[in-house]
Amino acid sequence: MKKILLTAGALLAWTSCAVAGAGGQSVVSIPAEDYKAILERLDTLQKRVDQMEKAESPSAKATSAAMPSKLAKDVETIYDTLDKVETKTLKDRISLGAELRTRADFFKVKNNANLSPGSLVEEHNDNHWSNRFRLNLDSEIQKNLLFTGRVTAYKNFNNNASNIYANDSNAAHIPGDTGLKLDRAYVDWIPEGMPIPLALTFGRHPSSEGPPSELKENRLRQSTYPSLLFDGESDGVVATVGLERYLGWKNSGIRFAWGKTYQDTNTSVAYMDTYGGAVDDSNVFAAFFETEIPGVRDSLLVLSALRANDLTANNYYLGNSAATSANNIGNMDLYGIHVQANNVADSGFDIFLSTGLNKTHPSGTIGYDTNGSIATLEGTAGLMNNDGTTSHTGWAVHTGLRYNIPYKPWNNPKVGFEYNHGSDYWFNFTWGSAELYNKLATRGDAYDFYYIQPFNDNLFGRLGYTHIDYNYSNSGLHIGDFGESTAELDNLYFLLDVRF
Amino acid sequence: MQKRIVTMLTAMSLMLPAVALAASGDALFLQSCGACHKKGGKAAIVNPADKAGTVWEKYFARGRHPGDMGMSDADLQSVIKYLVAHAADSDQPAAAVIPK
Repeated sequence: MKKILLTAGALLAWTSCAVAGAGGQSVVSIPAEDYKAILERLDTLQKRVDQMEKAESPSAKATSAAMPSKLAKDVETIYDTLDKVETKTLKDRISLGAELRTRADFFKVKNNANLSPGSLVEEHNDNHWSNRFRLNLDSEIQKNLLFTGRVTAYKNFNNNASNIYANDSNAAHIPGDTGLKLDRAYVDWIPEGMPIPLALTFGRHPSSEGPPSELKENRLRQSTYPSLLFDGESDGVVATVGLERYLGWKNSGIRFAWGKTYQDTNTSVAYMDTYGGAVDDSNVFAAFFETEIPGVRDSLLVLSALRANDLTANNYYLGNSAATSANNIGNMDLYGIHVQANNVADSGFDIFLSTGLNKTHPSGTIGYDTNGSIATLEGTAGLMNNDGTTSHTGWAVHTGLRYNIPYKPWNNPKVGFEYNHGSDYWFNFTWGSAELYNKLATRGDAYDFYYIQPFNDNLFGRLGYTHIDYNYSNSGLHIGDFGESTAELDNLYFLLDVRF
Repeated sequence: MQKRIVTMLTAMSLMLPAVALAASGDALFLQSCGACHKKGGKAAIVNPADKAGTVWEKYFARGRHPGDMGMSDADLQSVIKYLVAHAADSDQPAAAVIPK
């Protein structure tokens, strides 16, 4: 401070001299008021310096002399502790979370005839209990490299049998044995220095339980894809381009996805295709544009287009084990529009409307026989036809709402209703659906009511009732054309979910 | 086939200096740090896997090592690079370079 004062004084003196010098022998005066102000300022500064020097008394000096060694020691101890904590934290590369669901279902089926694959086959099944355990994993490997994983064990009570309808798309979503199934394991890589905001996602994708499933499941959004179109486990690669900076629409972006719904492998040589007579792989190409709807807070709009090439068929879902070998039966296009808004105008209502359209491009059949005799084939089945050539178009709509009841003593319970209708030839890729009967694949009408009761932040219960009127058989199956149905399904259930 | 072998050998020979460079941090750590940080030594035994990589970097950046390490700046940087490469959170944590 003293230095500043001296410098200021010297500067003032030098300035005065310089001004005097510039004028020769004459003395240049400055306005008296300015001169007075400068002096007062100097006095003030001097007083502050005096005060500071006075404050640094001998005892204070002694204290400050003693402090450095004590402080240094304390700081060193803190650093040592921080080192241990930070090292421990950095070594814990994966964060773990878990979920447990116990569910009791009561089913009633009328006129059962070819309900969706993987669903009920009994006419009646009261008292169906299941447990589902999920282990969630995530890691920020690096700032721009993120890993997410989930393994699941899902089984019926006191039953350790693998479900015969389990396939690669629903292995972790229908009850089976006690083994852990790989539900999802993917890495998000955000390359640096790209001219556009780009993210690459590769691995086993978060492609199940997409919007609006999170409303009924009472959790955050779990998937990119609207559940009316795609709900299942899938392996592939997705490129996401962020568009917010170009469009100005919050969370807008477009995703280009590729995956395989079937990959032919030789049973004896794992890295090669089957020799001769093998079916082609089924590839899925898709594009999804999504954004928050401008002007509507906490909303979502998703436009989807999907092409599945070389869909395969075998006799597995047609009744028995005897049939001609598996074959490619054609391609399928699928389009969708999904609109959703949560807590609309602060009303407590979450609403959604999702639509889908599918069109087939058939190119083949398989022969089948429900009695197990290839010699007496009952017929042929193609892509939603029996002749292998007839093309069909289907459509579906899924709508609903959820009301968040503002009643704190009961932890703000929620009540919801959903309705979906699918036409005769509606088809989607939803074998990993949270509902065992693949509700959104219904060729008919489905009515779904539920009540969610949170008990605390980690535990909640759900009581629900679903009624389905099937108009057309084999909902959820792309093989064959089996005509009208009068089947009905009623499902009353209660579940308890714990997440931590 | 012969060409492939020659190409592979050439590639391997080009990699040797890099391997030697990487080994220098290892050797420096054992020689310089190991002189004191050893069983019965002046200081406690230390190994790369005792801390995470970023923790090692911060440790030296803050000048926390007591006393003179008797190393040039270049040598110290080699040692730090080695410590980070084999730190607790690395792909190859080294916990017993200096036996405990």
